Amino acid sequence: MRHRRRTFFSALTIASGMLLFITMDSMLAGMDRGAIDNMIALTSAALRIRTPEYAAEQDALPLDYGHKNVAEITSFLKNRPQVKGVAPRTRFIGQLSVEGDLKPVVGTVIDPAADSTVFSLVESIEGTYFTADNGHEIILGKKLADNIGVAVGGWITLYAQTRYEAHNADDFRVVGLLNTSDPVLNSSGVFMSYAAADTFLDLGGIVTDIMVGLHPRVNLHDFLRDAKTVKAEVKRQWPSLMVETCHEQEAGFFEISKTKRSFGMVYLVVLLLIAAVGIFNTVLMSVYERIRECGVLRSFGLRRGELTRLFLYEGFLTGIIGTTFGIIASLCSNLLLVTRGFPLDKMAGEAMGDFPVWGVVYGQWNLGMWVTISLFSIGIATLAGLIPARKAGAMEITATLRFV
Amino acid sequence: MALLEINNVSRHYRKGDEIIHALRDVNLSIERGEFLSIVGPSGSGKSTLLNIIGCLDAPTAGEIIYNKQPLRKLSDDALADYRKNHIAFIFQSYNLIPVLSVRENVELPLVIEKKWTKKEMHDKAMAVIDAVELSAMSNRLPRELSGGQEQRVAIARALVKSPLVVLADEPTANLDSQTAEHVISIMQRLNREQNTTFIFSTHDPMMQHYALRTVTLHDGGIASDIRKAG
Repeated sequence: MRHRRRTFFSALTIASGMLLFITMDSMLAGMDRGAIDNMIALTSAALRIRTPEYAAEQDALPLDYGHKNVAEITSFLKNRPQVKGVAPRTRFIGQLSVEGDLKPVVGTVIDPAADSTVFSLVESIEGTYFTADNGHEIILGKKLADNIGVAVGGWITLYAQTRYEAHNADDFRVVGLLNTSDPVLNSSGVFMSYAAADTFLDLGGIVTDIMVGLHPRVNLHDFLRDAKTVKAEVKRQWPSLMVETCHEQEAGFFEISKTKRSFGMVYLVVLLLIAAVGIFNTVLMSVYERIRECGVLRSFGLRRGELTRLFLYEGFLTGIIGTTFGIIASLCSNLLLVTRGFPLDKMAGEAMGDFPVWGVVYGQWNLGMWVTISLFSIGIATLAGLIPARKAGAMEITATLRFV
Repeated sequence: MALLEINNVSRHYRKGDEIIHALRDVNLSIERGEFLSIVGPSGSGKSTLLNIIGCLDAPTAGEIIYNKQPLRKLSDDALADYRKNHIAFIFQSYNLIPVLSVRENVELPLVIEKKWTKKEMHDKAMAVIDAVELSAMSNRLPRELSGGQEQRVAIARALVKSPLVVLADEPTANLDSQTAEHVISIMQRLNREQNTTFIFSTHDPMMQHYALRTVTLHDGGIASDIRKAG
């Protein structure tokens, strides 16, 4: 510990490696969690309930096969302690027309009041949400609106097939534009109320999807567990219904996310190995600079094993000091990331593509990772002392005393 | 019975294709409390003989017997214990630990012994530092000392554990004559007071003058072994 400068630089290397790793891990986890939270809050909710007939033909988005007992299911769900809201939805295929150009769209019919108990679209609207008299009102994704050159207050013509397969067209006033953190929603979202759709699509109140919102949880695993619990309860009551959790609805995303995390881990492990090389190098240099000192210690009776243990202990202590600095630095950086977040849009720009997270993203705490990295850092620093110490111990004492 | 018996000790090294005979069949018997100098030209084997006596090096042939105990068959750890319990070294280039203070350098052999409390180590170290007249410098680092002061610290470090044998390799080589004389007088005093055996190699005629026995090496072998009368 008297070799202060060397110990300081070794500890600094360890701390820097830890800080980089934990910060990157927090950001990656935050991006994932942000994407998942966005999906739940904007598109998939915690659960989606469909009839088996609808589920069998869901790709065609038929306007048949709706739920026959929406009220009963809704009442059952609202009695579950985990449930915060239930909202009906129906999807349809249509075409938007502005000044003669037709653009295919997938529209979503919602109950505006119920929908805002499950989804958070209303928080991201420029303009207004649906009014009380919402018969000819429509809400579009902002990017979609920009593409077709329409603003709030403007009119669009929507073409679609009704429930009875008749073609219909009607004009709708754009009351609001969705500017969410989901780029896909922004570029393709088309929303109308059941009041408008009952007329436009001859829906007759058909509800194809019952969307369920759950109370939020800090830990995603707890949230997914709640979703599974509610799903099981619904299935017990109505075994034939198709009930999918958000995890099942977005299975593809979760798989990609898992793969992305694995690649992210590889990158982070490489960073850590680079830091490990730095630590090894610094400790190695420390021992080589002290070869002569090793000779003096041995000439006064220090055994080889004692010499090795001495350097192991010094390496261990350096690891402890560096890890402590690393934990303190990581605490500060992670606290900032978790409370203030980081501007993903400014950092990544267009490179994010359609990844469903945008704007400010918040970091995640990951205690398991902290413990792993701390143990790794201490282990590396301790090991870094072992190899050169054994080398110094193996040298002839007379050679060590002459070492320059 | 002699404290140290050096029987037919030879040491040679291979340097490429050449074999260097550093010591050839050396026989020497050293009593407790001797103040013995080993002299000879460069390359005569003085440092090699000291290293072998101190078990820093092993002979190619022959044997060292210390206090009736042959050292040849001892394990590495046993040799380390032999050095710890009986031998102390004073190196030509002092070899003080640069990041430790004078007192901490002197305490080092006691730390290695692991049988003293902090206070005991402190007190024993200060006692020998007093003996070498460096009390005022006890908290200084080696880089703040002159050559003579560093050598006195090295002497103090060697003597702090009251060894039976002190091996000194050219202890006055880098000192001016006044400082050298001071260092020799300290060694002589400690030899008289504690009956410590001093074996030192030297080119210094002043050291040879003070030695009570002079062994001259030439070409790896003993050329002469002269004891002073009285």
